[in-house]
Amino acid sequence: MTIAENIFENLRLELRRGCLTLAVLAQLRQEHYGYTLRKALAERGLEIDESTLYPLLRRLETQGLLTSEWREEEKRNKRFYRLSGDGEGIFAQLLAEWRAINASIDNIL
Amino acid sequence: MELLDRYLQAVKKHLPWERQDDILAELRANLEAQLEDKESELGRPLTQNEAEDWLRQIGAPIQVAARYQPQQYLIGPSLYPVFWFVLRTAVLWVMIVYSIAVAVQIAVHTPNWSAVFEGVLRVPEVLLTTAAVVTLIFAVIEFLAARYPGRWPLPLLPSTDWTPSALPPMEVKTGYGKKPRSYAHAVAEVIFGFLALLWLLLVPEHPYLLLGPGAYYLPASPFQLAPVLITFYWWVVALNVMQVGWRAVDLIRGSWRGSRRAQSIATSVLGLIPLVELLTARDHVFVLLKHPALDQAQYGATLISTNQGIAWGVTVVMVISVLSLLWEVGQMGVEAYRKHAAGMK
Repeated sequence: MTIAENIFENLRLELRRGCLTLAVLAQLRQEHYGYTLRKALAERGLEIDESTLYPLLRRLETQGLLTSEWREEEKRNKRFYRLSGDGEGIFAQLLAEWRAINASIDNIL
Repeated sequence: MELLDRYLQAVKKHLPWERQDDILAELRANLEAQLEDKESELGRPLTQNEAEDWLRQIGAPIQVAARYQPQQYLIGPSLYPVFWFVLRTAVLWVMIVYSIAVAVQIAVHTPNWSAVFEGVLRVPEVLLTTAAVVTLIFAVIEFLAARYPGRWPLPLLPSTDWTPSALPPMEVKTGYGKKPRSYAHAVAEVIFGFLALLWLLLVPEHPYLLLGPGAYYLPASPFQLAPVLITFYWWVVALNVMQVGWRAVDLIRGSWRGSRRAQSIATSVLGLIPLVELLTARDHVFVLLKHPALDQAQYGATLISTNQGIAWGVTVVMVISVLSLLWEVGQMGVEAYRKHAAGMK
């Protein structure tokens, strides 16, 4: 990887990090467990590695933005996540912020 | 699937111990669901190679497990600027205190070269110990702040209630190349340099210029200068000639505004030569008796203590000169690096 490619990759990951959180919060307005959440995001054009998504769910739950429960489905115990009450408020603020940034960038461009 | 079990077992070893069963159960459920999807798409179980490719794509077990660990810095970006400032300050002050302590100890107890050498050899140990202690303190602060974010806020961080008017006043720039010398300053340097050189050249013939009325007692003194001090005198004259010449040439060429760092370093290096010559003088004899056979008994002890005093004086000047030279070279290196870095930008 050249220096320019490396710089681009680091910037791309930085740019993506916040957007992934927003996308996960948005998708978890409906209940999902890890794998179906990953599939749902991929179907809407946002691919996320397993090793990024599953720890992210844990972090968001620790921060109180998600709630989770273990439940059996198709003869297998799965951990289902959904947006918490606090998470809904934070999500609304983040969404407004993201829209404002997008609008500003569009204006600049 | 045995390969998946082995994979999860490897992940488990690197997970936070208090949550590893819970995390592993969730990861297993997700990966098994993904595996079922893949197999139903293919209509058959994955081959060994396909399973290896799939798991390789998910990531190495240690990397996957690391994502579940809380992000922990030894010293994080919030604390780092404070750490760096404290480290530099601590190293500087420890060096000053250490140098004074060693100098006093040597002067009082063991005034010899091996003690000086030993003191210099211990400098890296002192610096490393200081750096290690400061780093350890900051690492503990960072750890506690990360572990107990509410109860242990990061101390030492710049206060948020600062006011711009409380900032220190503008510093006067006096360093090399920062504030150009005026023409009058450059002319005065040349004139006073010539006058100082003239004075220096007249001293041997007219010692009262150096000693004042004391010069009239010189003929009656039982002492005389050793040849090494005469050589030293001519070295000093030569260095002064060189400096005045340099300044005069700068003035004539109109380049008096430029940096004199290189000239200053060259003069400092050449200035070490006469000091080395003095320090390597045979038996450190700088002053002799005019009539040893007659005066040895009466003035022998005075002669020895005088020569020892001069030797120590020269040693101190030598140490200061070397430190000053190192400081100048260091500053030149820093300036060169800054210019290089600015050029790169």
